[in-house]
Amino acid sequence: MNVQSQERGYVSMSDTLIAHWKDVGTRALLKEVLTLGGERTTATTIWQVSLLGLVISLAIAFYMLVTEGHAAFNTNSWGVTWGLPISTYVFFVLTSTGLTFLASLAMIFGFDEFYPVAKRCVWLALATLVAGFATLALELGHPFRMLWAVPTGFQYRSPMFWMGVFYTLYLLLLLLKFVKIHGGDWDSRASRYLGISSFVSVVIAHSTLGLLFGMMAMRPMWYDGMLPVYFLITAAMSGAAFAVFFTYLAYGFSQERMPEKLRALASGSALPNVFATLIGITILATVSRTITGLWSNMDGLEVYQLLVRSPMYHFEFWAGLVVPFVLMLSPTLQRQAGMQILSAALVMASLFMGRLEFVVSGQLVPMFKGSALGLYQYAPSMTEWMLALVGIFLTFALYAFGEKLLDLSAQPARA
Amino acid sequence: MAKWGMVIDLEKCTGCQACTAACAMENNRQPGENWQDVIYFTEGEYPSVQVKWFPRPCMHCENPSCVHVCPTRATYKTDEGFVLIDWDRCIGCKYCMIACPYGVRFYTDEKPLVGPDIKTVFKSNDEHSWNPPWKMPDSREDWKHGVGVQPRDVVSKCTFCYHRVSKAPKGTPDLSEHDPKTREYTPACVVACPPTARYFGDLDNPESEVSKMISNKNGVRLLDQLGNKPQVYYLTGVGGAVPSNRAIKKT
Repeated sequence: MNVQSQERGYVSMSDTLIAHWKDVGTRALLKEVLTLGGERTTATTIWQVSLLGLVISLAIAFYMLVTEGHAAFNTNSWGVTWGLPISTYVFFVLTSTGLTFLASLAMIFGFDEFYPVAKRCVWLALATLVAGFATLALELGHPFRMLWAVPTGFQYRSPMFWMGVFYTLYLLLLLLKFVKIHGGDWDSRASRYLGISSFVSVVIAHSTLGLLFGMMAMRPMWYDGMLPVYFLITAAMSGAAFAVFFTYLAYGFSQERMPEKLRALASGSALPNVFATLIGITILATVSRTITGLWSNMDGLEVYQLLVRSPMYHFEFWAGLVVPFVLMLSPTLQRQAGMQILSAALVMASLFMGRLEFVVSGQLVPMFKGSALGLYQYAPSMTEWMLALVGIFLTFALYAFGEKLLDLSAQPARA
Repeated sequence: MAKWGMVIDLEKCTGCQACTAACAMENNRQPGENWQDVIYFTEGEYPSVQVKWFPRPCMHCENPSCVHVCPTRATYKTDEGFVLIDWDRCIGCKYCMIACPYGVRFYTDEKPLVGPDIKTVFKSNDEHSWNPPWKMPDSREDWKHGVGVQPRDVVSKCTFCYHRVSKAPKGTPDLSEHDPKTREYTPACVVACPPTARYFGDLDNPESEVSKMISNKNGVRLLDQLGNKPQVYYLTGVGGAVPSNRAIKKT
């Protein structure tokens, strides 16, 4: 199918769907949606389970938001204002950033051995970005008002304004890029420019997210002009973990089922080495941030005393970073499917907790004496967990949809 | 044009919370949603422990970080120095609450501090977040300036009683509850203060009482090192103290 007819296909897609609905009737259409048509595969099961999970978590979240509103959150005005939904948003949009980096290795930077995962990475970047936006939209007081108030306000001094601009731009460019490569157009001038501009836009977008926290001088735990660089490294690590995990998921967690080129990538040392390097730099960054926090007399950094005593921090550090680092560094272990999957899963879990810890810790120390008796307390409410689950199930549902219908293993003929 | 500011004399403040109560009445605040609050804390250890208190309105900073971070310009600073919120523009992202070093901003939808939840007891039938049994006349309500009972899912804060102060005759150096000509333009917390520990006036006018007090009695500002430059000054004298920013003991 050539590119133009592919694009025309998208335009008339809704007409076709409606016509199809009229042809087969509601019940049959519903069945097709639930089974995604064709033969049953692992993706079908993932689609059904995550769709069920999404419906349940959304239903609970909506019920709580309609009956109690955002009072159903455990956040409050005097202590922790941004909680789990915000950290989930950060987790997903930074993962999207990392997935785009990984896809760009082949599509922009000429590392052809990464082509077998490129299309899946682009689709997952879209899925995680949408998941992040969905979680954020449910967290905001007035998500629809945002659509007009942010552009008309044009508060160029606010990092949040620029974050909105560049993540929206990134979403559009990424979508266009996916349409191109889905139509088989990997290398045309337009496709290359789309790839480069989506890469540039996400580098800027994630930096604005970094500065959204990094510029807050009143919150020393976040205050760091280099935070975008820290986010860049951890985003890349996050993207790598997602790419490894979902690629294996697509092939039933087995290297034998992979096509030749992908198997070469999975069983070779290039991917584990990239992964290990990213984990290594993250370990360095985590250690230096922690030592600075423990050593410094700066107000607000007392929170590190709490962090190093919490089991969550140690799970994140030892199980979530050090273990995967050792596994991915070992010349024998790094090539084994099981070790790669384990490392990816550990890094994903560690980062999810790490984002929560980062967002919350910046708010735990009272601003001045008297405003609290000690550090503030925060544990997410059930509604907040539902919002996080919405993001997680949405990612899996979109992944399964893509895996089943959009041929995510495709790569350019020449690669 | 006036640049309105407040001076709080900590030597005279008795910590009676009349300001907090007056603000709550004037602006229909709920328990815990204290636009104006008096914060209590202790200094020292037994046997030389002291109870201290510290009145804390919004600082209406000259260089307000909340205004800079607001993505929609819902929070803004006026020419006369008020930092206000337009409730029709606020998207409830709470970034201003993150960026405010003074903890003076309140999100409408949270778990009630005390039960029963006053918002369900006095339920609203319209777009207001609740329907208080007593409230300011509707004609005074002004959502563009964050005055009145706010809608749901927005951030609210002390307005320096914008609905009163903004009606003061131009060129007035001081707004005092003791002067019948200015009393009705004076912020509620200032009017209610029994020991007259609060003063309100034009910081740009060298003849105003507040300007003189700041220079003669060495007015200081809370967390001045952050550079927000509050327009609320504290006189510490010998008895009062602005709380240290060291909030907890490092072990």
